[in-house]
Amino acid sequence: MHAFKAVLWSFLGVRRKDEYEADTRRLTPQAVIAAGLVAAALFVLALYGVVQLVTR
Amino acid sequence: MSAAAPAHDHGHGHHDDHAHAHPTGLKRWLFTTNHKDIGTLYLWFSLAMFFMGGTMALLIRAELFKPGLQFLNPEFFNSLTTVHGLVMVFGAIMPAWVGFANWLIPMQIGAADMAFPRMNNWSFYLVVPAAILLVASFFVPGGAAASGWTLYPPLIIQQGIAVDMTILAVHILGASSIMGSINIITTILNLRAPGMTLMKMPLFVWTWLITAYLLIAVMPVLAGAVTMLLTDRHFGTSFFNAAGGGDPTMFMHIFWFFGHPEVYIMILPAFGVVSAIIPAFARKPLFGYASMVYATASIAILSFIVWGHHMFTVGMPAAGNLFFMYATMLIAVPTGVKIFNWIATMWKGSMTFETPMLFSIGFLCLFTIGGFSGLVLAITPVDITLHNTYYVVAHFHYVLVSGALFSIFAGVYFWLPKWTGNMYNEKLGKLHFWLSVIGFNLAFFPQHFLGLAGMPRRIPDYALQFAEWNMWSSIGAFIFGFSQLLFLYNVIECIRSNRKSEQMPWEGADSLEWTHLPTPAPYHTFETAPVIK
Repeated sequence: MHAFKAVLWSFLGVRRKDEYEADTRRLTPQAVIAAGLVAAALFVLALYGVVQLVTR
Repeated sequence: MSAAAPAHDHGHGHHDDHAHAHPTGLKRWLFTTNHKDIGTLYLWFSLAMFFMGGTMALLIRAELFKPGLQFLNPEFFNSLTTVHGLVMVFGAIMPAWVGFANWLIPMQIGAADMAFPRMNNWSFYLVVPAAILLVASFFVPGGAAASGWTLYPPLIIQQGIAVDMTILAVHILGASSIMGSINIITTILNLRAPGMTLMKMPLFVWTWLITAYLLIAVMPVLAGAVTMLLTDRHFGTSFFNAAGGGDPTMFMHIFWFFGHPEVYIMILPAFGVVSAIIPAFARKPLFGYASMVYATASIAILSFIVWGHHMFTVGMPAAGNLFFMYATMLIAVPTGVKIFNWIATMWKGSMTFETPMLFSIGFLCLFTIGGFSGLVLAITPVDITLHNTYYVVAHFHYVLVSGALFSIFAGVYFWLPKWTGNMYNEKLGKLHFWLSVIGFNLAFFPQHFLGLAGMPRRIPDYALQFAEWNMWSSIGAFIFGFSQLLFLYNVIECIRSNRKSEQMPWEGADSLEWTHLPTPAPYHTFETAPVIK
């Protein structure tokens, strides 16, 4: 869950300093990469959903 | 990061130079496995290719100085635009970044060398025959490839042996890039000094780590695309031939799935260099280090889902066009975060404006213009109007010249004292910057107007209404081109001069190569890893 939160903030490209410091303590690279891949897939699906909504 | 005084005991420079005598002369450069030597080779190679590609650019601009055909026949003109693009992308910008990576990554993470030194040597010596193939293709029957750097079929299928030489060159360069990337990733992940956690690494190391993953992901895609071209040309396949059941549009999809991340391969290391220079000359730590790392990763992921914006006009369904339009516009978010972070770093800093800082600020202003014109082109209906016009040419030169190239200049001036032990001539450096920035803007800003007025790219002749701005563009290009001779002079003069650099020529620099190593960096560094607190 923490990994997902960090990845979602990374999509925006910003992160609060205390939360980032907590991230560095509790997250493993594997969890971040897995969350990143899932979040990227969800992002593509979300965009696709918006496109479907607009073109309907 | 530790700000300890230079610990010469980590350097071991003179002691080691005597203990393990290394070959000199030609042998040193041919057989070298030293990351600094290989970095130097890459940098000189890319400078040579930069002048080669630059000469082609000036021939193009000389032809376009006024309407009508002046010096070149149209076929040769097309070859020039094609090979100029290939040489600048694969011969100048990318090898320059690999040169920086070789020099800096081991020193910035406290490693003694790259993880695979012999493969490192091989990576470099692969790019030389590739460059020779590209340049020699001008002299074979039929002339060099003339399809544009994108190598689109069916045009590319019809040409002579030069295309095969180009395909082979692309294959070799791809192999070199993949080997280089494996080396860089392994070095960063396995050879960091104790205490150098991932989130303590300088941004340049981070940006190269992400770039290396991008390279490994997309280079095989390009190799696949050009292999299919090769078999379409010689072995009777019809991957891209509609008459045989293939589809030329498929090539465009495959090419741009490589091509768009390629843009980020060229620009992410630039972000790293600028992130080192701006804090040093603002005398403040980089604002939002973590968000810079996150934004870089985010840009890298997004770069894989926007390729369709290069081909809005080929007739994708509306849903496809909309998807790529939305995804492309969203890249502006993490990129904007970076721009704001650099500005926030400068905010209330004690800034000075030596040449590296000037080029970095030039990068910041002009790359932003390139980013904005990219947003304009991301809007599908606008792109359908502007596709294949000079607006696109202006856009990507703002991204790649004032983006990637300016930051390469910034980086060279910044690290020349560390590399050579001598200080460059500041006055000449500033003159180089101002001539470059004026020449560049004069060359490329009017191309926005030409594109908006409808002038198509890749033509040797044009209608009379485009004459005025083309003249100015050519004048700017010649100012820009010839001012690069000043850069060459400045680098050589610096190497040969006796103006010894101070240990810390830039008081705000804080990465290991400045804080833990003498200036110039000795041949062997960090044989004993430093401990980072």
